[in-house]
Order: sequence, then C-alpha cells, then structure tokens
Amino acid sequence: MTILKEEIIRRNKNHGEVVIDLKNVGKKYIVHHEKQTLAEDVGRKLRFQKEEEYWALQNLNLQIRKGEKVGFHGPNGAGKTTLLKIIAGISAPTEGLVKTKGRIISLIDLEAGFHPDLTGQENIFLNGFVIGMSKEEIEAKFAQIVDFAGIGDFITAPLYTYSSGMKLRLGFSVAIHASPEILLLDEVINLGDEEFRKKTKISMDRMMNSGLTIIIVSQWTDLLRSLCDSIFFIELERQVYF
Amino acid sequence: MQFSKKQRYWLDFLFVMTQKEIKARYKHAALGFLWIAINPLSQMAVMGFVFQFFVPVHVDNYFLFLFAGLLPWNFFAQSLTKTTPAFFYERNLIKKAKFPRETIVLSIILSNLFHFLVALGLLVAALIADKLFFEHYSFLELVFYVGRMLWLVPAILLLLSFTVGLSLLTASLNVRFRDVNFIVQLAVMLWFYATPVVYALNLLPEWLWPIFYLNPMTFIIELFHHGLMGLPVTLLEFARVGLLVIFYIIYLGWRVFIKESKNFDDWL
Repeated sequence: MTILKEEIIRRNKNHGEVVIDLKNVGKKYIVHHEKQTLAEDVGRKLRFQKEEEYWALQNLNLQIRKGEKVGFHGPNGAGKTTLLKIIAGISAPTEGLVKTKGRIISLIDLEAGFHPDLTGQENIFLNGFVIGMSKEEIEAKFAQIVDFAGIGDFITAPLYTYSSGMKLRLGFSVAIHASPEILLLDEVINLGDEEFRKKTKISMDRMMNSGLTIIIVSQWTDLLRSLCDSIFFIELERQVYF
Repeated sequence: MQFSKKQRYWLDFLFVMTQKEIKARYKHAALGFLWIAINPLSQMAVMGFVFQFFVPVHVDNYFLFLFAGLLPWNFFAQSLTKTTPAFFYERNLIKKAKFPRETIVLSIILSNLFHFLVALGLLVAALIADKLFFEHYSFLELVFYVGRMLWLVPAILLLLSFTVGLSLLTASLNVRFRDVNFIVQLAVMLWFYATPVVYALNLLPEWLWPIFYLNPMTFIIELFHHGLMGLPVTLLEFARVGLLVIFYIIYLGWRVFIKESKNFDDWL
C-alpha cells in the first residue's frame, strides 16, 4: 500500500476540474536479478516457479485539479518516478484506472528523441513530434524555438557537433514551446550557462504563475515548499512477497 | 479522404521518422543514394558468378532471375534484422516519452521500402528499355509485357504486410527475450536457402513443393519472378497456404505488439 501524506502550503481556491485522476492504481514489476533469457523463462515455468514480484505502487488514489502545483517527496524507491511515468502514459498501471486531461509534457530527459546525425532544425521537428506536437504547431513555433535556444548558426549543423549545453538548450526550448497543460518535472532543471539559466528561470517562473498544472518530484523539501501549493510525502509501507 | 487530428499526427510522425531513417543512413556516405543501386547490383554479380556453377537453374537469364528475387528478399531480410532489436535500441526514447511505439518499426520498414522501390523502379525501367530498343517489341507486345508487371503490385503489398506483421512480432518479443534477436539473425540466414531466390522450385523433387509454400516468402518471390520475367507460380493452388500464413502472422504480430507495448517501459 502506497501511503500519501499531504501537506498543504497554500490553499488556492480557484482550482477547476480534475485533470489527473488515479483510482486504486498499482504497478507491479517483475524482479530479475539478471537479464532474462528465453531458456530461463521456459525453465522456470516448467518448474512452476513463481516470478518474483515487486509492487512499486499499490492502491494509490490521487486527484489533481487544473492549475495545481503539486510536489512529491519520498525516499529512493518509493515509486516517485513510476508515478510520473504512469501519469505521463509512458508506463501502464498493472491495476486501477488512470485518467488525464490535456497535453502532458515531461521534462525528464530533454535530449530524448534527438538524432546526432540530423541538424538542429531537423531535430526540432523530430523532438517536437516525439513529445506530441503536431506539424502545424511545430511550424508555427519554429522561429520562437530557434530564437529561445539561442545557439546561432549551429541550428543548421548536425547535432553531434553541439556541446552538451547546446543540446540541453535546444531540448528545453522545444519542450516549453509545446504548450503543455500538465508539466511533469523530475527534479527542477538547472541547466546551461548563466545567461540561459536566467532565461529558463524567467520562463519557469512564468509557468509557475500561470494556470498550468505542474507536478514536481524532488528530494528537496525546501524547494518544494517554495514552489508548490501542496506536497505529498510518499511513505514506504508495503509487503514484498518473495 | 479526411483524417482526424490523431490520424494526421500519426501520419506526420511516421513520415518524419521515416525521413530521419533515410537521411541518417546516407549522411556521411560520399556516394549517397547511389548505394541503393550499387549494393544489390554487386550482390547479384557475386552471387550470380558463384551460383551459376553450382546450381543448374534452367532459366533464360540467371542474373535477371537472381536480381528479381534478391531485391524483395533483401528488403525483407534487412527490415527484419533491423526492426527486431529496434525497440531495444530506442529504449531512451521509449522510456522518456509517450508516442505511438509502432512508428519505430514502421519507419525502418518504410525507409527500406523506399530503397527497394527505387531499385525496383530502375530495374523495371531497364527491362522496358531493353524490350523497346533491343528486342523491338511491337506496341501490343509491350502492353502485355507491362500489363504482366502489374502483378508486382500485389506482390509488393503482400511482401510489405508480411514484413510488418513479422517485424512487430519479433521486435515486441525481443523487448522481453533478447534471444529473439539472435534467433532472427540465424533464421534469416537459413530462410534465404529455404526460399527460391538462388534456385527455382522446379529444381527440387515434386513432393517437396507443397512444404515450401508453408514459407510465405516462396509465393511472394515467385510473384516477383512472374511479374518481372513471366515465370509461372509453381503451385498456384498452394498459394493460399502462403496467404493464410501471412494473414495469421499479421494478426499475431499486431496482437502481441498491442499486449506487450503497454509494458515496454518495464523491460527496457
């Protein structure tokens, strides 16, 4: 059983409809101590051995309303990332129901969806699609994305010529121009050089004060308290069957 | 045709992924797209040279026979070996974002299809030019010749759907069982000799023929031989066995993909 303890920091009365609704959500993983092979799997089934199970989340109920800024805090292995993945639709829950409304963008790995041999421009399209933007949207925001990333002429060069900071800039720029309705953050991003950090800070502050629904997962309670309306503390209390 | 927003997104996404596959492949190759033709031509030259001495195939033009079979076979074999580990290779993407997973496999197949169609188009053009300028076909003869090539359309469609079905199956299974990739590599190698590409079916004892039709690639390759060279399909009544296998593989591949793709993230 996953237990959530809520700490309310400020009550925001204007919250609208429920945009994330989790009912009795559970996620079971099969534990492998080594990577499974076909022969092992067949062998185990023949010996009627049960697979080792591990519930990362169990019986989780959660409702998040539009515009809420919610933080999650908990020890390693409490299921924070699993929760984000289930909300983002990357992973399917083993049991229970997940309902979400609106476009979800997760700022987890900004460089996912980049191809090193393609140019910055081509990668904007590729990455934009991967995070769910339509062709028209990418075309309409293309100039803004390029401008915000601020990497100059490198935009027409293949990605493998970029520094790691430049790749992050481009990834972040695409993500924030995707006009998300729900934003998922795994730790707060602090990237690039001084000038770009200022830019990201401004745009993050703007998002924090907008009607966007934001979920932040972090180990830093102080940071969560300063940013969020409420914080959920995930507590580890579950039985593990072996 | 009207597409919904979701379908439009899916098509655009598939298009961009395919474009990425094609562009990335030739990015640093000096000869670029010429490789589409150089590859199968040199393969045909080597194999034709070798097999002519070992396989007494009674077809008029063995090199053409070989080329007509190698093109579709290469498309199939290259697609299958490249798609099987594809979900595993794209784990970074799968673990970070929600997008239609099947596009990873489909984009690889479509980029291969693009190359295959270009090479096939060149072959068809060369054949027609040959009939027109060297064999001086009359207009009517030429119409019949080109008309027979229409068999290539169902042949390509069958080849494409079989490749998609099987690739989805092996790629999905490979996420959990990495052995699948090795099995596929081995199987493709053996499969090549179980398919009439370097030999014709009539070279074998007759009682073996029906067994060969359990392999859908037999019928597909024979369709290509028919369309391009006018060779008959050896056992037409057994072709439906091949068709049944194709449809079953497509069904199975799609079912397994739907079931497994929900939990790709757990296993990568």
